[in-house]
Amino acid sequence: MSKILRLNMSNQTAKFEDVPEKYKFLGGRGLTSSMTCDEVPPDCHPLGPNAKIFIAPGIVSGASGPSSGRLSVGGKSPLTGGIKEANAGGLASQKIAKLAIKAIALEGQAPAGKFFTVVINKDGVKFLPADDLVGKGMHEVDKVLWQKFPNKPAIIGIGPAGELRLTNAGVSVNDMENGPGRYAGRGGLGAVLGAMGLKAIVIDDKGGPGVTIADPETFKKEAKKLAEALLSHAVTSQGLPTYGTAILVNVMNEAGGLPTRNFTAGRFEGAAKVSGEMINEMVKLRGGAGRVGHACHPGCVMKCSNIYPRPDGTAHTSCLEYESAWSLGPNCGIDDMDVVAELVRICNDVGVDTIEAGVAIGVAMDGGLLSFGDGPGAIKLLSEIGKGTPLGRIIGSGAAFTAQAFGVTRVPVVKNQAMPAYDPRAVKGIGVTYATTTQGADHTAGYTIAPEILGVGGKQDPLAPTKGELSRAFQATTAFIDSTGYCLFIVFAILDVPTGYEGMVGSVNAMQGSNWTADDVIKVGLEIMKRERQFNEAAGFTNKDDRLPEFMRVEKLPPHNVVFDVPDEELDLVNKF
Amino acid sequence: MTKSTETVAVHLYGRFRQLAPDKRTDADSVVRLTAEEGDTIARILERLGISAAETSNIFLNGELSALTRKVNSGDRLGIFPSDMALLYKWYFEKKD
Repeated sequence: MSKILRLNMSNQTAKFEDVPEKYKFLGGRGLTSSMTCDEVPPDCHPLGPNAKIFIAPGIVSGASGPSSGRLSVGGKSPLTGGIKEANAGGLASQKIAKLAIKAIALEGQAPAGKFFTVVINKDGVKFLPADDLVGKGMHEVDKVLWQKFPNKPAIIGIGPAGELRLTNAGVSVNDMENGPGRYAGRGGLGAVLGAMGLKAIVIDDKGGPGVTIADPETFKKEAKKLAEALLSHAVTSQGLPTYGTAILVNVMNEAGGLPTRNFTAGRFEGAAKVSGEMINEMVKLRGGAGRVGHACHPGCVMKCSNIYPRPDGTAHTSCLEYESAWSLGPNCGIDDMDVVAELVRICNDVGVDTIEAGVAIGVAMDGGLLSFGDGPGAIKLLSEIGKGTPLGRIIGSGAAFTAQAFGVTRVPVVKNQAMPAYDPRAVKGIGVTYATTTQGADHTAGYTIAPEILGVGGKQDPLAPTKGELSRAFQATTAFIDSTGYCLFIVFAILDVPTGYEGMVGSVNAMQGSNWTADDVIKVGLEIMKRERQFNEAAGFTNKDDRLPEFMRVEKLPPHNVVFDVPDEELDLVNKF
Repeated sequence: MTKSTETVAVHLYGRFRQLAPDKRTDADSVVRLTAEEGDTIARILERLGISAAETSNIFLNGELSALTRKVNSGDRLGIFPSDMALLYKWYFEKKD
């Protein structure tokens, strides 16, 4: 039977608790959001003594299902002031699950200036002073900890940005090569760990009890259906492993929705130079440590990650994803892939979210601090974060804070969180999601199942739902998948292959002994959304916060020359349930 | 010399770049065709020797489009091969 591991940073103690009945069928985001709602006062200071962080593998994590090693990190976000779930791949989810830990609850604060490393293995939990790691970037932290501890453990950690409690500090998880590039990045949760005095968590599952599967035979069968769908679909079996998500640079550029130079255009003349095609080409050309088709966690069959090589073939950074390539490339007017790779490496090292960092730099460029396209200038600016200089603190605090400091009014954020790589004026549906999700501007909050598939085993009405109803169904399905431990990208396949969708739900049921149908998927997802929304309301949010920035209703985005014109009433429909 | 407004600019990606004068991955691989009466996306594909089954997302003037859509002079077409199908297609209405 799995337990909740509660770590108190004020007195460096650990205690294992039974899982309350209400959390029985929760995992991942469903669990971190529920625990946040139950334990964190919505009006607390997110960096204060009442803040907590919850870390949870998904429902099926640690079992043999494909692409199921995702980890949720949740709490109150210092960036948005609302509830946050940040999600990452890497080694941690499966190792935590295999130690029969359902969630790690972090609370309290170490004495000022003190940092700890928490080591978790089959024998228990130890708190060690982290004096040897304080001030170090995550590349070095991971290296030192693999030298210090056996069995190639998972490492969850914060870089200097988290230690400085900057609102764009993310939470790093190491990958199979012990690189720090898998980030539960969005929303500044790394700053909360910094305020708690937690530098790193080392998780070694060797000799651990393993996971419990309620019905192992059925699990195998259902997981196989999902795996077959993933291995047969063009997106999950060809596109993602060959080009990674950055293939979208060329696609979104062609669609005229690639936010360029701080969201002033939807097409970038240098897009092809920083696309997934280019990454694939450079990996072929430069060889060495370069890879595409790289898995971010054990058992992933989609392998959308990459290791981008320097000209001499040594590994520069992992990984160049669409969002990172876009935010530090076209959004900054930068078309040099090696510059983008260096900017990503710095983000992974100092410990900040690449989306927020790139939009912050774009805002700084719009404010005249440096020119659009100034690669060396962007590298110099981002490097300030690790030095802890005042300018570094500004940039490390995210896009809205930077905009305020430099008098910029073109601020592409919702609930203070920077928008990702789809301009809402050109892609209005995603704009509805940006506006209405509890998470702030978030592109992963609103994946969906097409209306027709919603009818699989259920009784949804596929006849012309409103944009609001559609976005709500999207967000609910996403919230469900975020709770399972499966990577969100399975939707690309299960959207088209009904047996894949069945396998996803069936494997979740077989793992935990539930009897969920397709209707329950939406119900469970809506329940998570409802709880998150209640938290946000108690934290002071109203429907006025479910809006896009003013400039997007006024400034036309070329080449389509469109504004965002979805009426407020339609936005408000999303959360009327 | 044909003015650019009299042609259809076909932007090609992935393996389709081989059909363009500039085949480089980091460039715009564009084939310019003279628009013919009754041209549709399907017809343009035929003229380029691309089988529809080999394609994934096709954009006409930045709009996700079906094969039946009419193509005119001055239009921009973007053609992605089947191994570049990644798109959050539920956010894009396919025009025809």
